[in-house]
Amino acid sequence: MTALLRGRVILLVAVVLTIQEALLAGLKIRGAHPDLLLLLPIAFGLVGGSERGAAMGFVTGLLADLFVGTPFGLSALVYTLVGFGVGMTESDRVGGGWWITPLIATSASAAGVLLFAGLGAAVGEGQMLHEHLVTVTIVVAVVNGLLAAPTARLARWAMDLGRPAGSWYTPVRSESR
Amino acid sequence: MALTRRSTRPRFTLLLLVLAAVTIITIAYRGHADSVINSIKGDALDAFAPVQSAVGDVTRPIGNFFDGAAHYGSLQSENARLRAENSRLQTQALQSADAQSSYQALLKTLNLPWAQNVPTVPAEVVSNSSSNFEASIQLNKGRDAGIDTGMPVVSGSGLVGRVVVASRSRSTVLLITDPTSNIGVRFGPAGDLAVAAGQGTGSPVRVDLIPPQVPVDKGELMLTSGLQQSIYPPGVPIGTVLTSGVPRGSFQQAVTLAPVADLAHLQFVAVMQWAPKS
Repeated sequence: MTALLRGRVILLVAVVLTIQEALLAGLKIRGAHPDLLLLLPIAFGLVGGSERGAAMGFVTGLLADLFVGTPFGLSALVYTLVGFGVGMTESDRVGGGWWITPLIATSASAAGVLLFAGLGAAVGEGQMLHEHLVTVTIVVAVVNGLLAAPTARLARWAMDLGRPAGSWYTPVRSESR
Repeated sequence: MALTRRSTRPRFTLLLLVLAAVTIITIAYRGHADSVINSIKGDALDAFAPVQSAVGDVTRPIGNFFDGAAHYGSLQSENARLRAENSRLQTQALQSADAQSSYQALLKTLNLPWAQNVPTVPAEVVSNSSSNFEASIQLNKGRDAGIDTGMPVVSGSGLVGRVVVASRSRSTVLLITDPTSNIGVRFGPAGDLAVAAGQGTGSPVRVDLIPPQVPVDKGELMLTSGLQQSIYPPGVPIGTVLTSGVPRGSFQQAVTLAPVADLAHLQFVAVMQWAPKS
């Protein structure tokens, strides 16, 4: 990974973190916050494979943990598993319809929220399994499903993985790949 | 060979990251690293504070403009309603000044601490928690303004919560509606005791441990008990009784409270510079 690409990844993470913590913290849909930091490992897993998904999950998870009071490290664990799991589907290499990306992002987000609450309950935070969990799961999954395609493109740009047909940007070709 | 490496490396990376995350959770959970983690969280809040303020400065006027334009009529009527309420409260304040002085005299006689004399730090709410699993808010002041972890936070006349993370310029307040919040309460003419537990953002506060025979009236005010080693000072209003009743076969009443503080629309709060007596 060249310095340019590393810079792109850091920029992308910084922008998403700012949107999540400064803008979306005040936004609630039916009492639930969207979770864009979970969408990044999903996007990186989709376009970059399981290893990149897991690494991105660990980074964004730790960042998310810094701003919340839930057990420290729990988001890092869950986001890592989600990023890896999405990468395992290898959907990007298999190809398929335009709906594959939003579908995977939606189901992976829902799985991530439920896993987070389940593991939280397992480490003694039983209150995380509340009746509001269904709403939270739906809100996070739907928002991430809607934003999946543009985020996946941004992940492509950040990793310089060439562009799918009909893309709106011109990638800068890097030497080392 | 290359093929094998490609198939095993991601799994090895996953194993490494999962182990790292589990280690972090374990260390944090065992409580040895609480102060370290809180100071890291504090540093993150401090580092993020200018970004947050800048984004807020840009987006708030836009939001306010659209809000104001959309709700102009309701704002006018709310203004009129608040004026009327204000004058009513001023009259009430005059009446209660007398009652308060006798109450203070009584507390002095009984040698109980008086919560109203505690110095406070006013602060503004800058954001809500971005988590769906906790009820907390962030304030625009921290240690530099004299705020520390464990301090109670009030708004107007009601309890809001307590400070759980304090950095130099920011502090995080866990609300009384958070599922991990438990507060000792006192109510009624006999000074009955109970425990108020949070049930999550937007839900009323549940009160446990009230025996079936104790009378609980709808609208009755419940205050912090401030018993020994309590994390809150005595006499701070928490909420008024919303529902009460004895479920069949239960050994305690099912009571819920509507918080006195308007937790959904908090803008300014006061942090009480109070620490529990150990």
